[in-house]
Amino acid sequence: MRILGFLWLFFVGSVFAQDTIKIGVITDRVGVSKPYSEPATEGVIFGADEINRQGGVLGRKIELLIEDDQSRPDISAALARKLVDQGAVFILSVSLSPATQQQQTVTMEAKTPQMTPMNSADYLTTQLNNPYFWQTGPLGSTQGATLLAHARSKNFKRVALITDNSDLGSAIAKAFRGALEKANIQIVAEEVVARGATTATPQLQKIRAANPEAMFLAGVLTAENVLIFRAYKELGLKFPIHSSYNLSVPIYETVAKGLIDGITFVDAYDPDKPEVKAFVAAYKKAIGKDSQNLHGYGYDGIHLIVDAIRRAGSTDKEKIREAMQKTNYAGVMGAKGMRYSFPEGKRAGFDPNGMVVRVYENDRQGRVLYVGQK
Amino acid sequence: MQDFLELAVSATASGCIYGLIALAYLLMIRPTGIINFAVGEWAMVSAFGGYVFLTKYEFPYPLGMAVVIAFMLLVGWVTERVAVRPLVEKGAPLLAPVLALLGVLVITREIISVSFPPDPLPVPFPFGFGRLEFGLVAGSYQSFFIIAVTVLVFVGAWFFFEKTLWGRSFEAVSLNRKAAALMGINLSRVTSLSFAGGAAMAGLGGLLVAPNVSAHYQMGVPLAIQGFTALVIGGVGRVEGALLGGLLLAFAEQFTTRYAPIASGYTQGVPLLLLMLFLLVRPTGLLRSK
Amino acid sequence: MKNTLRWLGVFVLLAGLPFLLGNYYNDVYRKMLLWVTLALGYNFLFGIGGQVSFSHFAFYGVGAYSIVIFLFQFHLPLPLAIVLGVALCVLVALAVAIPSTRLEGFYLALATLALAQLFVVVLNEGGAVTGGTGGLANYRLPDIFGVHITGPWYTAVIVFVLLMTLFILLKLDRSWFGRACRAVRDNPEAAAAMGINVARTKVIVFTLTSALAGVAGMAYAFVDNTVNPPIFGLENAFLILFMVIVGGSGRHAGAVIGAVLLFLLPFFLSPLVGHHHVLVFGLLVLGAILVAPKGLIGAVDFMKKKFS
Repeated sequence: MRILGFLWLFFVGSVFAQDTIKIGVITDRVGVSKPYSEPATEGVIFGADEINRQGGVLGRKIELLIEDDQSRPDISAALARKLVDQGAVFILSVSLSPATQQQQTVTMEAKTPQMTPMNSADYLTTQLNNPYFWQTGPLGSTQGATLLAHARSKNFKRVALITDNSDLGSAIAKAFRGALEKANIQIVAEEVVARGATTATPQLQKIRAANPEAMFLAGVLTAENVLIFRAYKELGLKFPIHSSYNLSVPIYETVAKGLIDGITFVDAYDPDKPEVKAFVAAYKKAIGKDSQNLHGYGYDGIHLIVDAIRRAGSTDKEKIREAMQKTNYAGVMGAKGMRYSFPEGKRAGFDPNGMVVRVYENDRQGRVLYVGQK
Repeated sequence: MQDFLELAVSATASGCIYGLIALAYLLMIRPTGIINFAVGEWAMVSAFGGYVFLTKYEFPYPLGMAVVIAFMLLVGWVTERVAVRPLVEKGAPLLAPVLALLGVLVITREIISVSFPPDPLPVPFPFGFGRLEFGLVAGSYQSFFIIAVTVLVFVGAWFFFEKTLWGRSFEAVSLNRKAAALMGINLSRVTSLSFAGGAAMAGLGGLLVAPNVSAHYQMGVPLAIQGFTALVIGGVGRVEGALLGGLLLAFAEQFTTRYAPIASGYTQGVPLLLLMLFLLVRPTGLLRSK
Repeated sequence: MKNTLRWLGVFVLLAGLPFLLGNYYNDVYRKMLLWVTLALGYNFLFGIGGQVSFSHFAFYGVGAYSIVIFLFQFHLPLPLAIVLGVALCVLVALAVAIPSTRLEGFYLALATLALAQLFVVVLNEGGAVTGGTGGLANYRLPDIFGVHITGPWYTAVIVFVLLMTLFILLKLDRSWFGRACRAVRDNPEAAAAMGINVARTKVIVFTLTSALAGVAGMAYAFVDNTVNPPIFGLENAFLILFMVIVGGSGRHAGAVIGAVLLFLLPFFLSPLVGHHHVLVFGLLVLGAILVAPKGLIGAVDFMKKKFS
């Protein structure tokens, strides 16, 4: 009986499949990106279900083809080929930046639209001239510039920069360095905490000895960032900390309890925004769990793709490419009123003025202090 | 000067953690010759044990610690039964159990990875988070706690190996398995014990380091590498070597980071280079066996 | 003559296959062939030479990065870039092997462990030369005699590298050198007594297999036309060890079986068991070591004996 049931499912599934629009998702379920990829993928699935409940797009349902690349770039590129062969009209990457990059070598050749809603490495749209690729996560350089715009009011002359040795951590540090140098602010100490370190005391001592007026934190490894905060508190340091958007992950409220008050961080998420409130409520109702900003990245990603398909009025990849380039869409992520768009042929679509600076208050992610980078 | 002493405390605490992991390796290498890289994952299991019992169920610290260490003894014992003994009994080459234990490493990490959320989880400090100062010497409560526990453990281990009959029998086994068997030493019991003890030591290291680094599924491999490096520096000949190797590694890491005029990203490579140099000059480790 | 024809036949067969495959299967196929190439070399080092090393992927990376850097930053011609890339691998391998093979036991393992980690640090911190964490991209294989080799035709290049590796290793294995390696592996003292220079044998095996890994890396550099640090880390160094063990160390066929099986495993398992596939992988590895300590090739032999 059960076998019959499977057969039925298979039969119906294959009939159904002919009618769907296939969108490939490359995620990481077991590797280093898992803490970020999992919630983002949940956001993608939630968004796709919601769209399908409302009738899908172009009268057809969306079918997600989800693949796990384990954050291995070579596997990731192979999976991109698989998705292309299976007829995916768009590939959504929520894996590691180098994995997204290696997929690009495939999508460029196969002329298949591809986007990442959350990778923030600047090189993704600059290293390769791939007209089929878009990046809608906030760039490392945007984070740096936004943090700096907020810090500018404080007139810092000398600051420290600290990060970890993950690829994203170094990429963000590079972006921060660029922004600081552009603003003529001297970097008096630049430190790296290695993955798996047991303390950050030597790095923080060195920073203390350089006597900066503030510290910029570019690291993205939660455990290593907590080490930095512990050493900061233990050494009795007082200068303000301005942090990358990694601090916008709510896990810090529990794992770094008592260490984070007063830390300002850049975020692409404003809890007071109407779109966010609607998303949070809908997610809670459908899934029964609280959502976080990482879900929002995935949710916006699938909506951006569906929006492009709708405007293209077709599943022709070339038409979708043209429509995607003309995107003008307001989603969950970004400051109030922010719209994703790719002006002047740019393919990084997060509005440079769309990030906000927030502050931790009473171990909670608190209010928005600053918007944009002007 | 203040910086120097403060850093010395921090490096000593890190060195003690490396030393405990190195001791875990050593307990198993000595009687069996087996290098068990899964010690890092054992430390991770224990850190998650700390999260479950101390953070989630809020056991009092000594009780929670006892439960976790008891659990680790069991983990070590079971691992030996499942992944080591069948191979030893079959007379497989020494490398076979080493590789089987690498399989155990993957399995252990994946079990944790699918059973807990992917983000780091908090594990409490036994004495809270604060700073202790004796004149110029200053450090966190946890640093001093780590140092005190480690010193006790190493004194105990030294006493066990040097002064007790049981410890002597470990030694005899490491020297010559056949002769030891003839002397009436129960080989399989020694092997079981060494794995249970190794797991307990790795677990202790994991539990002590967890309040600082949090419990997360990727903490094992770095600890395994740090502990192994410490072991090679110190040499497997003597118990004190493990602690000495750990301290030397931690001091090299932290003092180069603090004082060496090298770009910060490259300082991670300095201990590795040191290690390679060390291997050339003193391949048997700092301390020779007696 | 007959032998040459046989090699040619294998080449045509292996290189012809991708023309029948789709893009995806061709991509999986050629990446699998690269793993097989690496596993063959690693098997010679570990299974036949008896040396545990974790730097095989670092050398794969040295080859991959060096050819891209020589070609597109120094603008050298392709043959010179290949020669220089191999020379670089040989130099690094000698620098590691000469000191550490003097010592017994796990010291080579440790030195190569350190080298593998150091290599990733250098890649990440290498600035414009290595492209940092993003690696290098935006290049393609230079035309050879005016022909742009791509798709299944490029797979033929990889098949060539694979067969060249196999050819060299088989020739060596069947010569006095192969016997010397096995003697050194099984009993160094006895080997020395037989007049074999133990240290030199070890150094030659390590350097040769590392250089072969470098050549495979050069082929890899043009598979996706991008190179980046995560590929060349320690995770893969452990995976190659597992491949050789599971397949059956010391046997060329074992290395092939192990590499094919473990490389393809996640592709099959992932859709079946979702994010538990690494767990299943671990259980399989442990099971294989416990049940078939001589590897799958050992099990194949056993079956053959039983049924013939």
